[in-house]
Amino acid sequence: MERLRRLPRGRLAVIPAVALCALWIAACGSSSSSTTKSAAASGTTTSSSGSKSAPANALKIGILSDCQGDFGAWYNSDIGGAQAYFIAHNGAKAKGPVPSDGITGGTIAGHPIDIVGYGCANDTAASALSEVRRLTEQDGAQVVIGPLSGDEGIAVANYSKTQPGKTFINGTSGAQDTTLKVRSPNFFRYNGDGAQWSAGVGDYAYKKLGWRNAVVVMDDYAFGWTSAAGFIADFCADGGTVTRVYPPLGTTDYSSYISQIPQKYDGLFSAVGGAGLLDFLKQYVQARGNFKKNTLAGNIFLGDPATIAAVHASDAGAVEGTSTNEDTTSPNASAYIAALKKAYPAKTNSLPAPGTLAGLASSVFTVNYYVAAWALDKALTAVHGDLSNGQAALHAALAKTALPDAPYGPVTLDENRQAIITNYIAQVSGTGVRTIYKVPGVTQTFGGTFSPTTPSPGRGQPVCQKRSLPWQGKEQAVSFH
Amino acid sequence: MSVAVGRTSPRAQLGTQAPRIILGILGLVVVVWLAIKASQGGTTFIQVTLNGITTAALYFVVAAGFTLIFGLMRVVNMAHGSLYLFGGYVAYIAQTHWFGGGGSQFSLGGASTTSIAGFFVPLAFATLVIGLVGLGIQQLLLRWNQGQDLRQALITIAVSVIFADQMVAHYGGIVQSIQQPTSWPNSITIGALRYGFFRITVVLGSAIVIGVLLYLLFKHTRFGMTIRAGVDDRAMLSALGVNVQLVFAGAFFLGAMLAGFGGVLGGTMISVGPGLDTQFLLDALIVVIIGGMGSLVGAAIGALLLGLVQSYSAIYLHFGSLDLSNYGVMTSFILVIAVLAVRPLGLFGRAA
Repeated sequence: MERLRRLPRGRLAVIPAVALCALWIAACGSSSSSTTKSAAASGTTTSSSGSKSAPANALKIGILSDCQGDFGAWYNSDIGGAQAYFIAHNGAKAKGPVPSDGITGGTIAGHPIDIVGYGCANDTAASALSEVRRLTEQDGAQVVIGPLSGDEGIAVANYSKTQPGKTFINGTSGAQDTTLKVRSPNFFRYNGDGAQWSAGVGDYAYKKLGWRNAVVVMDDYAFGWTSAAGFIADFCADGGTVTRVYPPLGTTDYSSYISQIPQKYDGLFSAVGGAGLLDFLKQYVQARGNFKKNTLAGNIFLGDPATIAAVHASDAGAVEGTSTNEDTTSPNASAYIAALKKAYPAKTNSLPAPGTLAGLASSVFTVNYYVAAWALDKALTAVHGDLSNGQAALHAALAKTALPDAPYGPVTLDENRQAIITNYIAQVSGTGVRTIYKVPGVTQTFGGTFSPTTPSPGRGQPVCQKRSLPWQGKEQAVSFH
Repeated sequence: MSVAVGRTSPRAQLGTQAPRIILGILGLVVVVWLAIKASQGGTTFIQVTLNGITTAALYFVVAAGFTLIFGLMRVVNMAHGSLYLFGGYVAYIAQTHWFGGGGSQFSLGGASTTSIAGFFVPLAFATLVIGLVGLGIQQLLLRWNQGQDLRQALITIAVSVIFADQMVAHYGGIVQSIQQPTSWPNSITIGALRYGFFRITVVLGSAIVIGVLLYLLFKHTRFGMTIRAGVDDRAMLSALGVNVQLVFAGAFFLGAMLAGFGGVLGGTMISVGPGLDTQFLLDALIVVIIGGMGSLVGAAIGALLLGLVQSYSAIYLHFGSLDLSNYGVMTSFILVIAVLAVRPLGLFGRAA
């Protein structure tokens, strides 16, 4: 009797255990397979059409971005940015109104352009690695433009060391380690890292907004840490103190993290990006009410055209660190915007609001891919299309390539093949972004604050301490109005 | 209980009591720790507690359907998370297409407005659609494998994997959110406390109403009585002339509807996006394992425990300069282990 009663009992206990095990398998299976599935579904694996008909001397280019995860919305901004350059300057033609439709024609220094595929990652290092492998090892890309996101950049830069005969030009990823620590000889970054994009904001907040203690909310991954590191280095250099909160990238329910924010603080610096920023601000306003004037600052995401329309209600007067100017009328920026308009004039649902590529011109996702394509064109032209000897001539040329006419300020590379940029401080409001200060010549090292031997930016790094920075108190007022 | 004690020898009694004593001490330490934290920051503590309770409400709605299906049919429906997420997407699509509202995360506070109907019609529609999808799964895939628990679990895993990939293919990888009616406030303020309106009224309210309705259904209707009888002894119920297949179909329909309803609430309170299916399936599994498979009260208590533990561990795992909040995810499993150590069938679980 006892035995009989125990049998089903034992069996029942097994079911949840088996179910739990199976769940893990299912979860892993679905996440890895979904990447490839979606890439196929959204027509991103366009390796077939281009490469088959391409002539022998074609330059095979892979463009690596994110079509999933926190930054998936900017997939076509990235592709569009790079391809708009080829369309405007290399004679390529768009195959359709959506950038991921592809391009045809066009040559760089005598090499016909062949876009072998688009990488669809999801802001994780693993996804970027599998996508960059697909582009280089299966589709045969000789040059990769990308990736988009911080952890991905570190992974791809490390991967590039195993492919010394190929060239990797960063898309818009902004982790510090990518260039400062990895220092791969064939990985080039013509955009600032997250810290460079925050340069000057901490100093401005301390001196002009009167903040003394700040809350720094950062995505808990390489870019979030780097972005926050720039603010913390600046702000603490003047004598400010910080409280750090670090929700994981991809958090949707920020309520617990909002609870960690002290009730009293002078200002909040947001290094939360992508879709998470909107969730965070929405839930912050629900929990704490609207931000008071001059108490909110943030990184490039706060003023991205795709997010600006969405956040206006909560951040009137917010201050943003950025490497672009939405409000500039300079000839360089105008030429760039005209190129975007000509290449992709149509409004499309495949781009985030405002829905046109030109409307997203001041987004780092558009301009940095454009600049990457530009650098490739300039360097390959300088060596007359020489790809021999493991692209040695191209690598040497890229390392020396400067872009004095880049849309939002001159770009040169340092000895780690990392851009030295002009950074800007801007005010964000419902009507747009107003640039108020500029910080020229921002290097990745912050005047020696960061070096290959200093700890990588992280949850507790850099340490908050007084230091001296090259631009302290030397930000230059600018106005485009 | 007294009968059971009478039957057990004193030594065995001590053996079963040991884990209880350890657990009691552990529980006491946690309560004291929380009391200290509560006294340090009252408003924060209330907010964190409300976070836990509202999350628990969502877990309960999802887990109630899961436990109903399991309790009656012994089917561990591994596609329950997929039904949850699909429900969110159906409502999102319905809202965007029929009412022009919805929209991606990038239209927060944007120009579009959402009417009351613009929220409730998609809610009802999605709930119904998911009920029918669940019914389809049961009739087409599970019915002819009745009694083969493992096979059914594997079939539903297959369904969940197919669903997950199809949803990424059709709805993309970008996180979306369903809009609440524009006329509703974002948050409500009680004294010094400010809290999200949707979370505390709609989500918590729905969970309570659903809990009460399910209780009444089980205790006071013929259908509920049949289900309870079926939970205890399916063979006998069938022998008594009840059409068991019809009861199974009804229960699966109801359980799937709850998953879909939960998906819409979750999609409004938080968001709709890839990966949430497995996350909510895991949460539902933990809830019913804690509460005891097949028990409604167990699902409620289990959801509350899980929600609070997750919420507190995200905040209160700072001990001086020692920050253990990274290990917060482990607390859910510590909870499962602790409960199973004392009650292997869950708090309210019964042997079949």
